Amino acid sequence: MEKHWFRGAAAAAALLSATALTHAQTLRVTVAEYSSKTGPYFEEVAAAFEEAHPDADVQIEVVPWDVLLQKLTTDISGNANADLSIIGTRWLIDFVDQGIAAPLDEYMTDDFKERFFPVFLEPSVMEGQTYGLPMAASARAMYYNKTLFEEAGIEEVPGTWDELAEAAEKISALGDDIAGFGLQGTEIETDVYFYYAFWAFGGELVEEDGTSGLDTEAGYDAAALYKSLIDSGATQPGVTSYNREDVQNLFKQGKVGMMITAPFLSNQIADEAPDLDYGVAAIPAGPEGDRGTYGVTDSIIMFENSENKDLAWEFLDLLFTTEWRQKFTAGEGFLPVNPEVAEMPEFADNPDLKEFTALLPDARFAPVIPGWEEIASITSDAVQTIYLGNAEPQEALDGAAQEINGILGE
Amino acid sequence: MTRSPVTNPYLLVLPGFLLAAFIILWPLYQLGTISLSEVNRFGQLRGFAGLDNYIAVFTDPDFLGALWRTLVWTVGIVFGSLIISVPVALILNEDFYGRSLARVIVMLPWAVSLTMTAIVWRWALNGESGMLNSGLQAIGIIDTNIQWLARASTAFPVQILIGVLVTIPFTTTIFLGGLSSISDDLYEAARLEGASRWQAFRQITLPLIRPFLNISIVLNMIYVFNSFPIIWATTQGGPANSTDILVTYLYKLGFRFGKLGEASALSVMMFALLLIFTITYVALAMRSERQ
Repeated sequence: MEKHWFRGAAAAAALLSATALTHAQTLRVTVAEYSSKTGPYFEEVAAAFEEAHPDADVQIEVVPWDVLLQKLTTDISGNANADLSIIGTRWLIDFVDQGIAAPLDEYMTDDFKERFFPVFLEPSVMEGQTYGLPMAASARAMYYNKTLFEEAGIEEVPGTWDELAEAAEKISALGDDIAGFGLQGTEIETDVYFYYAFWAFGGELVEEDGTSGLDTEAGYDAAALYKSLIDSGATQPGVTSYNREDVQNLFKQGKVGMMITAPFLSNQIADEAPDLDYGVAAIPAGPEGDRGTYGVTDSIIMFENSENKDLAWEFLDLLFTTEWRQKFTAGEGFLPVNPEVAEMPEFADNPDLKEFTALLPDARFAPVIPGWEEIASITSDAVQTIYLGNAEPQEALDGAAQEINGILGE
Repeated sequence: MTRSPVTNPYLLVLPGFLLAAFIILWPLYQLGTISLSEVNRFGQLRGFAGLDNYIAVFTDPDFLGALWRTLVWTVGIVFGSLIISVPVALILNEDFYGRSLARVIVMLPWAVSLTMTAIVWRWALNGESGMLNSGLQAIGIIDTNIQWLARASTAFPVQILIGVLVTIPFTTTIFLGGLSSISDDLYEAARLEGASRWQAFRQITLPLIRPFLNISIVLNMIYVFNSFPIIWATTQGGPANSTDILVTYLYKLGFRFGKLGEASALSVMMFALLLIFTITYVALAMRSERQ
């Protein structure tokens, strides 16, 4: 009996020390689910990493985009966050302000830095320190349906918003369930869909004096243009019930002539609607020739409270080798952020991607302001009000600008 | 009579009370603390803020709109499902061929997760490819597609309807329990006295299932007031916050804008509101029962 007790205690002690040992080498990585390929990809990286580091145990947590920020907030407030996480680069400022993200410069050699295009590394540099590495990058361009263009007798891809309006009306005239211009009117990035025209008319989200640029002629003109497209039936009906995926679905079904979205639509079309005859072109320009596309990067950050920073860095080092980057970028349909990956024929010779990369000089990133999500939401609400016809563009945008100025002034 | 300490009722209640305190009172205390503090985006406390968070919520114009809609939403669904569930329960209580099958069919929606139901409805309500529009067109009620979710005037009533539909199974179950507890002798006696079916319903059924009506109203009120999935999956409270109720507004405040202090203040207010609602209702119901 006594012997049993002793053996049991010894086994328990051994077990305890064993868990303590593995615990010290556990690496938790929170990743955003870009597509069904994301989870398996990271599991593969983890397996490769564990092979090189037999004492490490990598745990991948795949989280849908919609709830990522919520999960991170809850984890951080409960002090239960992972060691590494993918975040939207526009959130980074909050993470840096609160001392939650760890600076990476001490680990980064010049050699490592050269793996990236500097333009993508820049958004995560704050106060001279690099806090994140660009995991994914994308820009927006205009997709158009060549078949519908032909049927409507349009020969040139619209280069300005006036031409776009004209083409959209011609395409809409083709049939009741055909729309010329797919306009997103609800959920995430409703504001961004408005900025495409806003930037083309010369607007700036934050003016030089630090106030919102929505209450300018550019804002009024862009809103009036979208509203007139809605009223003349050049868009799909009921725009305020269409989120980005809904509009993309209409495009895949061949019911929409033009829409503006990210490069990943090409991958989806290849999978789901391979017969669709489409092209990719620049976002139309405004009357003065201005144009702007929305550039987005997602970064992977290391948490300041991580107990395994060196191990975490080694994982990042593996993640950003050309072989793994190529696999990720091709699988998810993002723009290459690494020169070596960009030179590979599958990216360099891809006509869709070329259009997107050509737009990068015009790319604008979400301004680095705390409270950006709230500003985006106020803007979305204002444009929805305009689309619904519940307020005139000037009235709605002036109100939104006033609210935004309150946040910017804080 | 002296009691042994082992049978002291307070002592016997203690374990249950401790468990309840752990899962209810402790979070409530935490919530109260956060709501009175300055909090950063990640829920870390940064000092005492007094009532600032409460004032900020009160002065937000979206708050009053959401409060009003929460009232419409709760009352609409609770009484809507009540009015439909009573006849459904009466029918299912009758003895007819295939009754068990009919009961299963009525209960089935209960087995499906609320979020799933809401997402299916979102597809059905899609303006261009939705089942609802094509169904209504096929039977000739409408000529052109209705964009159900594009504006609040159509979206919110439809959301309440979905809420009623998913609340029916639970409410019906409670009523069925109540009906089966009424003895058949009462109806037989009433029939002998010459009472009509309507009289039997008014004088026998209704008074006897009143406690069940009350419990269903209280429980449904609590569920519906806090129900998040239907509105979130269909419109996310949009367009322009016009279908927001307090919970969806709370979610945006907390997890989208990162204002955890204000979100906690709102939670405390919602808790208080619901508590007042429930206590008032239970008090009223008990008073009328005593009479």
